[in-house]
Amino acid sequence: MPALFSRRATPLARSVLLAACAAVVAVPSFAMGWVRTPWARGEHRHITQPVPFDHRVHVTGLRIDCRFCHSGVETTAQAGLPPTQICVSCHQRLWLSLPPMSAVRHSVEMNQPIAWQRVNQLPDFVYFDHAMHVNKGVGCETCHGRVDETGDVTQAAPLTMGWCVSCHRDPAPHLRPLDAITTQGYQPAPGTSGTALMAAYHVRRLTNCTTCHR
Amino acid sequence: MTGGVLPMPAEPPVAPVMHDVPDDGVLTTQLLAPNWTPSRGWWPLFLISGAFTVLFVVGMTVTFTRGIGSWGNNIPVAWAYGITDFVWWIGIGHAGTFISAFLLLLNQRWRASVNRLAEAMTIFALVNASLFPILHLGRPWFFYWLMPYPATTGVWPNFKSSLPWDVAAISTYFTVSLLFWYLGLVPDLASARDQAPGLLRRRIYGIFALGWRGRAVEWQHYRVAYGLLAGLATPLVISVHSIVSLDFSITQLPGWHSTIFPPYFVVGAIYSGLAMLLMLMLPVRRIFGLEQIITEKHLDNIAKLILVTGTMLAYSYICEMFGAWYSGETVERYSMLINRPFGPYGVLFWAMTLMNVVTPHLFWWKRLRVDTVVLFIAGLLIWVGMWLERFIIIAGSLTRDFLPSSWGVFAPTWVDWSLLLGSIGLFSLLFLTFLRWVPFVPLSEVKRLRYELQRDQIAGPRA
Amino acid sequence: MTPGADNREFPEGAAIRPDGMPRRDFVKLLGASIALAGLDGCIREPDQKILPYIDGNNGVIPGVAQHYATSMTIDGFATGLIVESHEGRPTKIEGNPDHPASLGAAGVFEQAAVLQLYDPHRARRVTAGGRATTSQAALAAFAPAALANRVGATGAGLRLLLEPTSSPLTSAWLDRVRERYPSSRVYFHAPLQSAAQLDASRQTFGAPLLPRYDFTQADVVVALDADLLASGPFHLRYARDFSTRRQRPPRAELYVAECSPSPTGNVADNRLAASPTVIARLLASLLSTVAADPRTAARAIAVDHSASTLALSEAEKAWVSSAAGALLRAGARGVVVAGERLPVECHVAAHALNAMLGAAGQTVVYNASPIVGAGEPSHDIMALQADLASGDVDTLVILQGNPCYAAPGNVPLATQIKAIRNTLYLGMYDNETARASTWHIPAAHFLEAWGDSCACDGTESMVQPLIAPLYDGRTNDEILSVLAGAPDTAHALLRQNWQRRYSHVGDIGAAWTDAIQRGLVMGTQPPVTTNVRADAVVPAHRALIASAQAAPSAGTIDAVFAPSRAVYDGRFADNAWLQELPDPITKLTWDNAALLSPRSAQQLGVTSGDVVEVSVGNQSLRIPALVVPGHADGVTSLAIGYGRTGAEAIARGVGVNVNALRTSVAPHAAIGGRIRGTGDHVELAVTQGHWTLEGREDSVLGITPPPAPSDTTPASSQPRKRRPLTLYEPPAPSSAGFGADQWAMVIDLDQCTGCSACVVACQAENNVPVVGKDGVLASREMHWLRIDRYLSGPPETPSFDTQPMLCQHCEKAPCEYVCPVDATVHSDDGLNEMVYNRCVGTRFCSNNCPYKVRRFNWFDYNDELTPVEQMVKNPQVTVRERGVMEKCTFCVQRVRHAQRDADLAGAPHTGPVQTACQQTCPSQAIVFGSLTAPDSEVAKLSNDPRAFSALAEEGTVPRVRYLSRKRNAGA
Repeated sequence: MPALFSRRATPLARSVLLAACAAVVAVPSFAMGWVRTPWARGEHRHITQPVPFDHRVHVTGLRIDCRFCHSGVETTAQAGLPPTQICVSCHQRLWLSLPPMSAVRHSVEMNQPIAWQRVNQLPDFVYFDHAMHVNKGVGCETCHGRVDETGDVTQAAPLTMGWCVSCHRDPAPHLRPLDAITTQGYQPAPGTSGTALMAAYHVRRLTNCTTCHR
Repeated sequence: MTGGVLPMPAEPPVAPVMHDVPDDGVLTTQLLAPNWTPSRGWWPLFLISGAFTVLFVVGMTVTFTRGIGSWGNNIPVAWAYGITDFVWWIGIGHAGTFISAFLLLLNQRWRASVNRLAEAMTIFALVNASLFPILHLGRPWFFYWLMPYPATTGVWPNFKSSLPWDVAAISTYFTVSLLFWYLGLVPDLASARDQAPGLLRRRIYGIFALGWRGRAVEWQHYRVAYGLLAGLATPLVISVHSIVSLDFSITQLPGWHSTIFPPYFVVGAIYSGLAMLLMLMLPVRRIFGLEQIITEKHLDNIAKLILVTGTMLAYSYICEMFGAWYSGETVERYSMLINRPFGPYGVLFWAMTLMNVVTPHLFWWKRLRVDTVVLFIAGLLIWVGMWLERFIIIAGSLTRDFLPSSWGVFAPTWVDWSLLLGSIGLFSLLFLTFLRWVPFVPLSEVKRLRYELQRDQIAGPRA
Repeated sequence: MTPGADNREFPEGAAIRPDGMPRRDFVKLLGASIALAGLDGCIREPDQKILPYIDGNNGVIPGVAQHYATSMTIDGFATGLIVESHEGRPTKIEGNPDHPASLGAAGVFEQAAVLQLYDPHRARRVTAGGRATTSQAALAAFAPAALANRVGATGAGLRLLLEPTSSPLTSAWLDRVRERYPSSRVYFHAPLQSAAQLDASRQTFGAPLLPRYDFTQADVVVALDADLLASGPFHLRYARDFSTRRQRPPRAELYVAECSPSPTGNVADNRLAASPTVIARLLASLLSTVAADPRTAARAIAVDHSASTLALSEAEKAWVSSAAGALLRAGARGVVVAGERLPVECHVAAHALNAMLGAAGQTVVYNASPIVGAGEPSHDIMALQADLASGDVDTLVILQGNPCYAAPGNVPLATQIKAIRNTLYLGMYDNETARASTWHIPAAHFLEAWGDSCACDGTESMVQPLIAPLYDGRTNDEILSVLAGAPDTAHALLRQNWQRRYSHVGDIGAAWTDAIQRGLVMGTQPPVTTNVRADAVVPAHRALIASAQAAPSAGTIDAVFAPSRAVYDGRFADNAWLQELPDPITKLTWDNAALLSPRSAQQLGVTSGDVVEVSVGNQSLRIPALVVPGHADGVTSLAIGYGRTGAEAIARGVGVNVNALRTSVAPHAAIGGRIRGTGDHVELAVTQGHWTLEGREDSVLGITPPPAPSDTTPASSQPRKRRPLTLYEPPAPSSAGFGADQWAMVIDLDQCTGCSACVVACQAENNVPVVGKDGVLASREMHWLRIDRYLSGPPETPSFDTQPMLCQHCEKAPCEYVCPVDATVHSDDGLNEMVYNRCVGTRFCSNNCPYKVRRFNWFDYNDELTPVEQMVKNPQVTVRERGVMEKCTFCVQRVRHAQRDADLAGAPHTGPVQTACQQTCPSQAIVFGSLTAPDSEVAKLSNDPRAFSALAEEGTVPRVRYLSRKRNAGA
């Protein structure tokens, strides 16, 4: 009776079996790896804003404090985006007529808000509180990165729960003096210890679920 | 008893484990014949099971798209048909491994000719069983949260709960059973390859036979591996259903909160599995004329096992009731002694008692132990009775717990029914497929057993 | 239950799903399959936009709630409210602590009103003859220029129909309209308004006065068919006062004789089920007993002495003697309260009793009714009917209310109104009246309106809007100003009226601001009087005796009509929260029924759910019976407000309209009706199926089974102390994290009336969905807080116990260790946390919860909410998706917010936190706080001798503790 299979059948069969076993391990591992990459989390994803606002100019160039525009950050949960009036208060005469400012102009004339694209997006079931962080020594830079060096702001941190919790479990290394909250490129002065700051600002390890989920 | 040839003391000797078996060539041809041409009635059965399987798919789709609300579940009865079906199928899955692995280690020769059927039953039952826990989740798309894996959230499953262990136990059990079944199949697939008409079939069987040639060295490795897997599978028979039973006994719900659950559930599982095995084996034996290799000896032994496990189960029922009474706890007593026999599901309780407790005691009589009709009906009764038992324990206990204000009953919807009947449909679909294309009697083992028996007749039985 | 109910369009947010795959499910399936593939890391939420304000200086800080004072008016009486608003949308209503009718509490209607603001079934367009038109056109048609031609220069053909109102503004503009049209006429109608009270006070005091009680001073309260703690314009205050009094020994005694069990009856020391006839009998003999007693000789009033001829049953004798005894003991510190809707003579008798006891001026005072034209013929619906019948009416202007639905059976108002050539209806809904009218203008919800109103003690209360009208709704005053030919906005009208009324104070700016901020105008109560005209009493007493002797002819049954505790007179019928609110007594939802005592039901051979036919005179209707232990024999109670036939999708077809059985002569009770079973049966959506404790009283209520009322030995209020058995030492509160606080709650079962305000408050605060009648029938109601009600003793004279049941926040929570994914865990500060976003929905936790307080999202109950409906959601609480568990969180959002504020302020301790249920509870039965706070009340109370844990023997160590019920010895 003729041979059922050619000579190459056996090695082929073996490699198929091997591959199948490998896939069982490889596929999940790849998935787990992927969700840990910046691409999966949308970090540094370029987002076009209605106004080509450049933080470099305002922060580095003009030395405007973050809180001038994001005024709610110290008192409320939301840092807040500036009302059009804030933009206009400076730009009344400065370039308001130029094309890049058209959206601002439109907002004033039509009395319609500027539709900014959200950059740092948390799920609806997360209750994040800016005031609670900036008053406890967590700097803007810690989560938002070097906005003074980036033209168009992108998501600078993973914003995964693991990332949040890592700091909630051990805040000390991420704290800075309150006077340096808005400092970009903060370098701890010699002798400032996170644990000392924790004590000073009554910072606690808040790992209860309802700290963020309600 | 060891070799089937030893006469039973009180009774006249039953039929041997096999008789009038033709020589290997003929036997092989005879046993493989059904795989080449469908027997009468196969297509109708296949289509009916197919229809029910479609129903199953419909039920699942509705559940996934509209939510658990499409079931009859409510508060207080948050678990009902879904979990009942799950436990029921898992239980049925136990008989297979019990027969093939347990009895192998105990050197029970009669297992040889029925273990393939039993294992197939196990596999297909487990397929159903592993579907229900996922169907049953409120958010099934997150089922993998029950598995321990390094998530970006930095949180892990709660190992204090029995459910993550369920997942582990069932998947292990499924894997081992599948390997065990397949390994046993390899030599027969090889015979099928050699016998199959047409190149294509030969090729297909050839692929699955993994190049088996039947050389001595292959047989040597094969026996070792088979033994090892049997050794691995046997403790699983005990562990899996013990863990399943913890889903109930770790709670403090009266009717669930009981320490006897693990042994109680394992016994019940094997009991129900044997019952279903009868329902599958008897028709197969008749249709394919396997009387010489599945003899009255097998029927007799299975009936005896049913008698034993059935009696142990009855004992567990009594313990359960006694425990509740002895606790002196108002709520426990109400739940077990008033709600269970006389509550909303009282009728089911009495039906269940009749089916599970009374039926097996028919088998004190040898005549009934080998009467295929009686066996089939008994199997059917126990099969249904065991489903009722699970339902009464799960839903019945939930209907009336601590605060009378929150008491309520469960009524199944068409989706509940479609999932139950549909899963039976899927099972029979798989089983029919198996009968059609897979050697459902372990050729190699039967042949081997035949040689052993011949040698015994010459040399006298070994102890 | 009615034919209509089954094919009813399902209430928004209800579980009744149309068949087929709901809109978003396909997308979900897609998402599911991707997630199943383990790749959910790739799915990014849809991009969101941020829209900052144009001008930041509008007082609104994003993310910070604001609170404004306003008031809600029912049948002319105002209750002061504080409303919480998020970015300009009101989300939660609380009571106004400064307001005399509220004292900080809010009832079910006030709590639920916010849902109705966003009701998608509200009328949105102005219609003329059913066709859409513009509001300008409608208003132009009713401006004098156009209208005078129709109704004549003097307005001979013009009639106005309003709900009773106490608004100074409305009153002023009614005058202006009368000036413009001297011969026009104004009528007032509300189905539940009773003339008896005012007629009685006119007989007794010579003026239409309203009694006002001060229960803080009362030692003995005798209430006759008066649900004074849970209904009526001042009930929030009364409940608060009574609970305040009860916290002070000696414990105030409450004697109740009522037809149908009520929340007030729940907390009575001595309760008697009494039909209207029996009430008259009790009151008559009470009057003569008290009059005959030497202790009242000083203030004796002549009474009719034939009362002794009355044949009282043993139970009645016992009740009268103990009530009379207690009253006489208490003297001026006792008070008799007659129910609003009792006949005139009952009120006179009550006045006489209070006068003789010297209670008048002490525990009860009388002030003029603030209702415009109170007690005048303009409030008589017969007058209106006659007027309409006369045929010289050309134009009828109906401002709010729903007369076409609510008119008594013998007044064919609907047909009459249809017949009128030109009718204008101002109403929130396209309801029965709107459909009978030629013109329909949408009315503004009170949260959209400027205006004013008076509490029943006369306190002037402000109504200010929290949101611009969603559907261009108008207020009564705006329409009146159009009629008077001086149209203006409600705000302007109110200012002008203030200018006029308060011109004597000069610049009203300061007064105005103060009033707007407080929600009321201080010192505007009218003077009170107390002197009784004795000559009125004898005839009243005679009348009482007469009606008491009217022996019921065999086979007849009396029908008593009461407001629904859910939808009142039908005005709240489109409010899903209220439709699904279990009745405090029967636990019935989405329906009304004919309430029958067990004996009456037995005689009829019917059980709950059997449809009976009730007929009075030539009117009859079919309605399911509901057996209520503790109900009076020979009477059936029928709740009005159901069986609506308007366009409101939720209200339509729910329950039966019983107004047909009412007559203008006896609108509140029909004597000598007939009732018979029909053999039909329907399923009633009742949330509690079992009413006895099966010998678990000690473990659940912390009491030994209470004795039968006849037995006068006091029930032990000392629960057995049980230490839960444990191998381990209870964990010491950790000082790390939130552990500094240890949250706990104590609920006083002696104060809880079961009024259910807390249930609605919880629903509003925590975005609790509604599941619809089918959902309730499948026992899938979602209330985080439910009120269990247990009966003990014989079914004819049972004693009631109510128990608010919510997550007990067990220190050793059975739900926690069974959850496979740690979706419910314990916080350092003793909260049993429920993490929705982690829950996969195994429902294991619910199975292991001994209290069965966990709720499951069987469907996506928020899937199909319109954008407007979504506005009611509390932004501080996650809206749960399909397939996750939920339960009471101790209002964790409030707790965490308070902790945050304390933390930012650097305060050593978290400030006081009020849970929603606690804040609204009129009788202050709920106390919440941290056990570790300095001089914490909750810590004190949880060590009270009455304190116990429900099901303590389960060893769950709940953080909710109950204070067991007290019972007065011998009462």
